Amino acid sequence: MSPWLGAALGAAILIIGVFAWRAERESKLLLRRLKAAASELENLQMAFSRFAPDEVIERIIAEGVTDFGEKKEVMVLFADLVGFTALSENLEPRVLVGVLNGYFERMSQAIGDHRGYVSTFIGDGILAFFGATDPNPWQGDDSVHAALAMRAALADYNRELASRDLPQLLVGIGLHRGTGVVGLVGSQRLKEFAFVGRTVNVAARVQDLTRQFAVDIILTETLKQTVDPSFPMRALPDTSVKGVEKPLAIHALD
Amino acid sequence: MASMSQIEWEPCLLTQHPAPELERRFARETGRPGQLMRFFEGSPWTADTMLRVSVQIMTFVRIDPNLVDQVGLVVSQDNSCRFCFGMQRAFLRVLGTSEKRIARLEQDLLTGDFNPRERAALDFARRVSQSKPLTSASDLVPLREVGFSEEEIVELAGLIGMHLFLNRMSTFVALPPQRMEDFPDHWWMRIIRPLIAVKFRRMRHRSKPVALLDSEKTGPMSAFVNALDGLPMARDLRLMIDRLWGSSSLPPRTVSLLFAVVARALDSTRCQQEAKQMLLEQNFAEADIDQVLTHLSSPILSEIEALLIPLARETVWYQPAQIQRRCAELQSQLPHEQFLDFLGAVSLLNSLCRLGVIVGMRA
Repeated sequence: MSPWLGAALGAAILIIGVFAWRAERESKLLLRRLKAAASELENLQMAFSRFAPDEVIERIIAEGVTDFGEKKEVMVLFADLVGFTALSENLEPRVLVGVLNGYFERMSQAIGDHRGYVSTFIGDGILAFFGATDPNPWQGDDSVHAALAMRAALADYNRELASRDLPQLLVGIGLHRGTGVVGLVGSQRLKEFAFVGRTVNVAARVQDLTRQFAVDIILTETLKQTVDPSFPMRALPDTSVKGVEKPLAIHALD
Repeated sequence: MASMSQIEWEPCLLTQHPAPELERRFARETGRPGQLMRFFEGSPWTADTMLRVSVQIMTFVRIDPNLVDQVGLVVSQDNSCRFCFGMQRAFLRVLGTSEKRIARLEQDLLTGDFNPRERAALDFARRVSQSKPLTSASDLVPLREVGFSEEEIVELAGLIGMHLFLNRMSTFVALPPQRMEDFPDHWWMRIIRPLIAVKFRRMRHRSKPVALLDSEKTGPMSAFVNALDGLPMARDLRLMIDRLWGSSSLPPRTVSLLFAVVARALDSTRCQQEAKQMLLEQNFAEADIDQVLTHLSSPILSEIEALLIPLARETVWYQPAQIQRRCAELQSQLPHEQFLDFLGAVSLLNSLCRLGVIVGMRA
């Protein structure tokens, strides 16, 4: 082989090598960007999962579906802090928000531990559903277990608040069973996963009755019929609530 | 869809104990390091079941092994099993699947561009894995439309079931995922990858159809086992199920109760009926069965059953860290063998109850 041919071959190999190296570098760069974009998408999906169940998010991503609804029987839990408005007027705003966030954190945990889905916080109120997302033949018992867990978690939290010289919290919880529609509800700009139906209103009204009967948890007869009879319950007088024709049969959970 | 890097995972619940014979058998039959067996030493049934299932996910009769490997990755991701995902990912990398391809499976599953057979198989795998609700005949239509034969569909479903078992078992005891997640990216791994690939390919083998013996066609859950007749996994499943119901650590009525609870959670009429029949034969009154299944509690339950029954329903759909914490609580209340056998039992029952659709195909 002539020296010129050898040199030309060497140069060709070098050029190919340089091109290959650049191509490899660019490919790695693109892969890194792709990974970063995918990671961003994952983070976005995680953030979304706080607003709607995983199945709903997947459906939106895969099918672009945003208008869907499904009729379901659901257990509704409505919780509200008793006398919090007055309390809030006596606390520094930052302290108030801290106390409230600590409360929401613990209550959400108690609800999630029992397969409930926290739909929304309304002021100092919590609206949660059982059976709205996954199929769950034990959703009635789960809702009662969750209410009991919330009671226990609040007792713990109150001990913590007392140690910090902060006021005690009192909660009223209303539980009801009924059918309604679950789906993504809202405007083009703002949608939320929600349960729509009279059941929510009734649960909220039942929650109001906790003040009248000086108890912390009340469930309706409709729900009681489906839950474990070994839960400690006692009947309260049938009571009329706004929006319901007949007086409601209700029970306190001891 | 779970983002694997962000899934909360508790420390492993099990300590490793040398199990030379099991380790050798595992390495011989799967081509993978046998150390995994060290976690399951102390429970002969669970260790044997882990081993048999690990072999079966590498045994193929008609289906394309490459497709099933991808299905394994997707199912592991769907179940948020970091251990299995890491293992499956490493396996695919060693066998030559590009990082780009794996990234597509991992991150772009819902909208990614897959060929029609892959898309149908991956979608079906996720449907079986999630089972909200259980798969039905209509879920088989997309598979048939892209040319899957009836035998291929049954085999695919069976293999998905095997992966589901491994996902659950590995998640419940929180097998450490870190080693598997880092494994394929080591520099030395890149050098020896071709050698390991040769070994893996040899272990991942084609098998001839294997028919069940007449004596193997009866017993608990025989409809499921018989639906898989012709596949080697059917004979192994028969053995695993028979040994489960003959377990020394879990009485048959406890296993039947677990079966009934998992079936009820998944709303499987077929499984609920079979479980109920088993319980009636074990002198359970119908009202007691209804009480247990309606409220997951009853005065008739033994102390151990009262612990296991509520947890059995938690194993149907779960968040890894949450179920791992629940399993850790249980671990402190049970003897080691019973603890592992319970987790193995619910893992197996969850897998089988999700396969009702193939029973319908063979009926």
